Amino acid sequence: MSGIEFILAGMLAAATPFLLAALGELVVERAGVLNLGLEGMMALGAAIGFIVVYEGGGHVAAFVAAGFAGVGLALIFAGLALGLRANQVAVGLAVGILGQGLSSLVGNSYESLTITGLPKLAFPGLSDLPVVGGMFVQDIVVWLSLVATAAIWAMFRYSRLGLVLRAIGENPTAARAIGYRVIALRLWAVVFGGAMAGFAGAYAATVYTPLWADGMIAGRGWIALALVVFGTWLTGRIFFGALLFGALSLASLVAQTEGWAVPSQLLSSLPYIVTIVVLGIITSNKKLLKLNGVASLGETFGP
Amino acid sequence: MIARRTFLQTSAFAAIAAAISARGASAADPLGIALVLPSPLGDVGWSHTLAAGLDPIKAAYGDAVSFTILENIAEGPDADRIMTKAVADGNKVLIAGSFGYQNGAMQIAKRDPSVTVLHASGFMVAPNFSPFAAKYFQGTYLLGMAAAAVSKSGKLGSVSAFAIPELITSVNAFTLGAQAVNPDVEVSVVWVNTWFDPAKEQEAAKALIAQGCDVIFSNAQDTPSVIAACEEAGVHAFNLNSSMKKYAPTKYLGCVATDWSPFFKASVDAHLAGNFVGANAFLGVADKVVEVVDWSADIPAEVMTKITEAEAKIADGSFNPFTGPITKADGSEGVAAGVSLTDPEIIAMDWHVKGVATPLPQ
Repeated sequence: MSGIEFILAGMLAAATPFLLAALGELVVERAGVLNLGLEGMMALGAAIGFIVVYEGGGHVAAFVAAGFAGVGLALIFAGLALGLRANQVAVGLAVGILGQGLSSLVGNSYESLTITGLPKLAFPGLSDLPVVGGMFVQDIVVWLSLVATAAIWAMFRYSRLGLVLRAIGENPTAARAIGYRVIALRLWAVVFGGAMAGFAGAYAATVYTPLWADGMIAGRGWIALALVVFGTWLTGRIFFGALLFGALSLASLVAQTEGWAVPSQLLSSLPYIVTIVVLGIITSNKKLLKLNGVASLGETFGP
Repeated sequence: MIARRTFLQTSAFAAIAAAISARGASAADPLGIALVLPSPLGDVGWSHTLAAGLDPIKAAYGDAVSFTILENIAEGPDADRIMTKAVADGNKVLIAGSFGYQNGAMQIAKRDPSVTVLHASGFMVAPNFSPFAAKYFQGTYLLGMAAAAVSKSGKLGSVSAFAIPELITSVNAFTLGAQAVNPDVEVSVVWVNTWFDPAKEQEAAKALIAQGCDVIFSNAQDTPSVIAACEEAGVHAFNLNSSMKKYAPTKYLGCVATDWSPFFKASVDAHLAGNFVGANAFLGVADKVVEVVDWSADIPAEVMTKITEAEAKIADGSFNPFTGPITKADGSEGVAAGVSLTDPEIIAMDWHVKGVATPLPQ
């Protein structure tokens, strides 16, 4: 298998943890709420998901349980940030730290254990193509996350719900004035974000790297957060951002196996550098930011 | 995190208890030994081997010693604070289990000469401060021989944490050992530039396997990420410190195991006898600290015989894997014919031997 085939075959799976978490955060931020606790929600989802599979519950139950774990943390966030109108940044960070602490607590006796991942499903016909064939052999969660991407894109693009979510993120006062229940809708958005972060964690610990090790999320929640901004709150761009990040992190490893004379430290930082550069280019376009940005992001709102 | 919190709670109680019974303190108080670990204490890996190294002390001294194990302590100010606290609570032997604890641990040693400090993989020495490191290269040389014997493609790979001398040395010895069996063997290395990221380690292993490597050396990973990925892909793998055979029941090549108990035991004995002298402890097969265990049954018998011979020669000191002629990866002379590298030269090694395909990051 050549390096390029390896990258093509692996990039979708590598992108999936980022993509799932970022899609959830996209809905949250579109509704005007900034939840910085992604890393912790992913970590707890990963720990819970792993434990369920390890104890024989299977992957479906693991994803459900991990989703609930993410929702649990999201509800704590919502209670403080939406209910009591605390500062969203501070509460998000606190919930993130709480999630990481809880994940080490519940995962303590499962440290360094392994399980079996999910089988890969081939897309009939396409998987036999040369070079790109590997792209069409993925596990079910990858396929479902692609479906989720399309669904969220369509939701924002065509549905009334998408319009309402954007409205409460844009101008919550006006949205409430015309009769929308801003806090309730934001709560549902935060709950959805929590569930997606839980799924992302479960994917990382039960499918992508089927083992539990404390701290295994290793900053992926923060990357997902950055991807939402990188994608200027647009589903398609977030998808390509996640894919780019996944592909680059694999490419940095492939470059070493092929013996390129590039320092490995530079290669390791490449995904971050490219993300920062692209982020810089996008945010330098003020018009684009203003067009797609969420006006009330992170602001507390209440009667 | 939790371990630290419970420690702080219990140590708070201990401090109160100590204050109450301070006058009653006598020579019969147990010797406190504190072990500070950089990662969570699992069933395998670096932290596990350090903690397991305390077992013989427990067996030998029973109630005359007490242990405080502090796991998952981040390097930096946090570690300094926790180590200071552990010593203030009366622990007289401090084992600092990571390179990054060096400065904080050294300060403690200087402040209180009655404390004995053992520090993993550092270079500083003081009368009551010993750095310790394992001669992993002796084991990786033997596993290199085994790897070349079981490899069909002649391409071997290593997922390595950071390009520091200790890890470079392991890769070099692995390559030299492999060349002793098959001179044409080629070794690719992926430096993941992290001590801990299971997903990235597993990606790196898969990238190497995709390139045709059919034996993977997991160099300094604390989790079974690489070993499990290799079992799944059907290629042989081995690792350092503690056996991960249960994660790769069919494809496990062996383990360069470390057993710190002879060193810990000797240090505690010396501390109790009052004649501990800090020195650089670079320990290997001869010291019973490094030992290759769980050899795979896939290794051909005639190669296994050669490996056993080499192991015996390393143990009695008649063979050093870094004996010239050795050519560097850039083609220049690394070690002249008939010359063997000394321990300080091995500790400072910053070049790859010929046969390592990946350029070394500067």
